[in-house]
Amino acid sequence: MVCCKECIELLNDYLDGELDPKIATSLEEHFQDCPPCIAFLNTYKSTTKLCRETLKQVEIPEMVQVKLQEFLKHNIRKP
Amino acid sequence: MSAEDKETEERLVRELQAGKKEVFDEIANLYQRKIYSLSFNLTRNQMDAQDITQDVLLTIFKKIDTFQGKSAFSSWVYRITLNASYMKLRSRKKEQYVSLDDALPSFNGAGFQKEKIRDWSESTESALFVSETREVIERAVEQLPEKEKVVFLLRDVDGLSTEKVGEILDLSVPAVKSRLHRARLFLRKKLSNYFDEYYSRVEQK
Repeated sequence: MVCCKECIELLNDYLDGELDPKIATSLEEHFQDCPPCIAFLNTYKSTTKLCRETLKQVEIPEMVQVKLQEFLKHNIRKP
Repeated sequence: MSAEDKETEERLVRELQAGKKEVFDEIANLYQRKIYSLSFNLTRNQMDAQDITQDVLLTIFKKIDTFQGKSAFSSWVYRITLNASYMKLRSRKKEQYVSLDDALPSFNGAGFQKEKIRDWSESTESALFVSETREVIERAVEQLPEKEKVVFLLRDVDGLSTEKVGEILDLSVPAVKSRLHRARLFLRKKLSNYFDEYYSRVEQK
């Protein structure tokens, strides 16, 4: 039987599906009896998802795009 | 990246190395958003990210002959981007990082969680939280130490594989995983603090 500490240490490998099947099963058994670890698992997953959604939206602003084009023209495309 | 994209990229690199300068625009198009996005997430400053993107594109152009194909071209570009970003960050005043240890979960002697854990995972879709969680996340990422921050940005934000991140940073797979896990625990804690505060305000009313 794993404790919360081991469970949380193994979360990353568990979510990547890289745990030994026996260990994964004992983790799942722990989750069934431990609402705080379920909450931890859910919020750990949400953290990754939320951060990705928030930070992935970086687009090059139009003004920067224009500057970049000018830069390329002057520094790279010049004859 | 699909096999076809990889082939196109390899062809472009070979052509540029052979002196066909006009293909550089295509290479720039393939990479400029990735370069800008990573450098912006590292510096959180539009001007800096613009400077870095320009520097990186120019370095790719000038140093293409030194790229030997031992690692993927994309890994080479990521490394140049990281170096340029770190140069920029070093020129700034030293920032105060917090210790990640304070954000790690705490356990009692038997290894059980000591804290009360609120499950806020269902709340994150609510429009109510979108702009505030964005601020919380941006501030928390800024506080991450560089080692953890870069692994988190490459793996979780850019979606690169653990192996690829290891190749870029010259780290073993377990080292990448352990840094990523620490970063996630820290960010989770910051988000948890935010949701705890929010719900305790609501419950008091």
